[in-house]
Amino acid sequence: MKTTLASDTEASGTHARRDVLRFAAVSAFGLALSGRAFAASTGAVSGGGGSGLLQSAGALAFGPDNVLFVADIRGAAIHAFALRASDVTSQADVELGNFHNFEGRDLVQGLDQKLGALLGTTLDQIVVNDMAVHQPSQQIFISVERGRSTDALPAIVKVNHGQLEVLELDRIPHSQVGIPNEPDPKAMLEFNTQRSFAITDVKYYNGEVFVTGVSNQRFASTLHRIPYPFNAQMATCTVEIWHPVHGQFETRAPIIRQLIKEVQGEPHLFAVYGCTPLVRFPLAALKDGAHVRGDVIGELGYGSNPLDMVTFSDPFDQKEYLLVTIDTRSASRVAVLDLGTAKPEPTGGPIDFGPGGLGRTQGLLPINAEHFAILNSKWAVEIHRHPKTAHRLDVSSLMVPYFFERRDGMSEMNWPDGPDPFQYREHRGEISRGE
Amino acid sequence: MGRPMTAWVPDQPLLRVDSDSHEPALGGVRVSSLDPNLMAHLARYIQAGGLLQSILRVAVIPTGAPIADDLPDVFGHYQLLEDGVRFIPHFPFARGVSYRASFDPRRLGRAEFSEVLTLEFSLTAEQNGLAPEVKRVFPSSDCLPENLLRFYVCFSNPMRRGRVETEISLLGPDGEPAPDVLYRTPVELWGRSMQRLTILLDPGRLKRGVGPNRELGPPLKVGQDYMLVIGSGIVDLSGRPLRETFYKRFRVTEAVREHIALEQWKMVTPETKTRQPLVLNFPRPLDWVLLSQMITIVSADGQLLGGRIVVDQCETRWSFIPSFPWARGHYHIRVESSLEDICGNSVIAAFDRPLRPGNDLAYEAAKCSISFQLA
Repeated sequence: MKTTLASDTEASGTHARRDVLRFAAVSAFGLALSGRAFAASTGAVSGGGGSGLLQSAGALAFGPDNVLFVADIRGAAIHAFALRASDVTSQADVELGNFHNFEGRDLVQGLDQKLGALLGTTLDQIVVNDMAVHQPSQQIFISVERGRSTDALPAIVKVNHGQLEVLELDRIPHSQVGIPNEPDPKAMLEFNTQRSFAITDVKYYNGEVFVTGVSNQRFASTLHRIPYPFNAQMATCTVEIWHPVHGQFETRAPIIRQLIKEVQGEPHLFAVYGCTPLVRFPLAALKDGAHVRGDVIGELGYGSNPLDMVTFSDPFDQKEYLLVTIDTRSASRVAVLDLGTAKPEPTGGPIDFGPGGLGRTQGLLPINAEHFAILNSKWAVEIHRHPKTAHRLDVSSLMVPYFFERRDGMSEMNWPDGPDPFQYREHRGEISRGE
Repeated sequence: MGRPMTAWVPDQPLLRVDSDSHEPALGGVRVSSLDPNLMAHLARYIQAGGLLQSILRVAVIPTGAPIADDLPDVFGHYQLLEDGVRFIPHFPFARGVSYRASFDPRRLGRAEFSEVLTLEFSLTAEQNGLAPEVKRVFPSSDCLPENLLRFYVCFSNPMRRGRVETEISLLGPDGEPAPDVLYRTPVELWGRSMQRLTILLDPGRLKRGVGPNRELGPPLKVGQDYMLVIGSGIVDLSGRPLRETFYKRFRVTEAVREHIALEQWKMVTPETKTRQPLVLNFPRPLDWVLLSQMITIVSADGQLLGGRIVVDQCETRWSFIPSFPWARGHYHIRVESSLEDICGNSVIAAFDRPLRPGNDLAYEAAKCSISFQLA
């Protein structure tokens, strides 16, 4: 360890002595006893890793009454944090961009580097797991982990007018439910600490939390329906999902993404599998202990993973659409009406998103986001690698329904003397805030 | 390492790292020996709504050019001490990261408190321990069926997630990486100790008739040789890469598309009053992980027997060595119906089974049981 004195570089003229000490190992400096006494006397000090309740922070979803559900793979649990008014800040006055001119805004530039700085590490140790938008505040919540191994520590971070804030979980009213172990732990010889259910999606619908995931052991296709508020009296309903293949076979498949929506008057669960089919189930069929076979109404291409599934209303035709963002290609858009009427089962032929007629109405959208969510009726938000600085991870707004960012493209409308058939110049001053 | 050099004069403010090697969670940064006058102004400043994070700041020193120019400080909590201020980071300081702390009382707006203290520090990375290596890959056999579903890779150290896609590949018969064979899971499938990794082959290609299978065919070709490669760029908890690249070569045999038939198992029963193993031999390899969990032995009165399970012979043999000598009587070997082989076929049905007629699928988790008696 060495001590060096650096000269004062301030212009003020007052002499300010700077001591720059370099430490070789922190163990060289024992903490005086008084420090620990202070920690005890000043009450709870939350150094040491976020909420002690949360062991990891993955998939996020908002429920009713400002409840934030957090999937905790490591803790094998779903947590419910009932956010108080002080935990949420309205973002209604944040500049979102120019809707008419297809221009979004970067809400946070360099998200991963900023998260690293905030959580005390370098950006390579930051993993962004999921993003969810709170309504009506339109505040963006992100689940993050610092560390990529057994040292990983979870955090929920909010975006507040471009600044990142850690959501302090210790004081928020909280409940949790364990993901049922499978098989029956009482029947096992020893508790298996290596079994993990990698929760891929959490969604709330009508008093229940729907949890999907991939086991690191069995090739299981388990869906859990958990009543919320969490209640030891009410059992989790566990369903094994099968899907048919060409009227010949049926097979299990872990659900990667899910969406629950009423179509034709009845609530249905739409699931996208890892082996690519999009499957539809009436919610009523997903009963405890059942093996349920869904209707295959679409297929994603090989080698792709669904990232997010959302629905939105097109502000131009007022129709509702399902959007699935995909990691290796453009996102797919399907009219919600068609989801209900689509005929099941692939009929063979070229691979596309619509064997049962969905292919005709499917749209492909140039979204290249790692995480995606709807902000309001005119704007979506994405976490994406900036196209020109692929290194930089940004949080940006994107207009609904074309999800097209004019700033990223080369368009003649961007030149001062270029043609302007859509009257961009006239609409230049129209900046959206909150809508 | 010893105590710090006493380069400071008593009564001079001191900015230093707090640490207790026994309780790293209490680690932080503190400035102490502050003038009581300064403390009084600090207290007033806080009362007026001022924030300690504007005065005592800790930030990560970026390595390389920062991408964003307004990086936040490290988030944490502050305590006002008798003679100073303490900062406790929300997450403990990380090893191998350089930090800069600064104490700047000029915000208080008093000419006599203009001395700025800065401190750069880092915790050294742990140097002990060996570089990680791949201990084993399952299935053990070097003949694997065309519809193989998964591998388990066992590492000697806890590993870091994030490099599976780039470091793990399957080389085809031509020695080139076979495209679209390994499935990219949405979350890497690690066990809790981060030492066991599950790798799946693409289920979309394994399942007959599903889109990718129609377009690309099955992932593996019968009769051909493949090599699973675990690249040395995969790193452990401390950032150390694998000592060397790991290779598993195998030849592909015919697909297995039938359920696990318990009646085909051969059992070797032990002698009473001994602790000889109860042995089950399978006609084909079963899943290494599930074998150690899904078969249990229960005595006639329903008590689960304590003991040790050994799986060997390329996962075709399961042995149970009891904790206590076998007593005479009836025993039941309970097999969970979700036990799988290496292709995902279970006790109930093949991985992709013929379509069952109708819509009302009965729940099929039968409790499968094999009985034996010791005289």
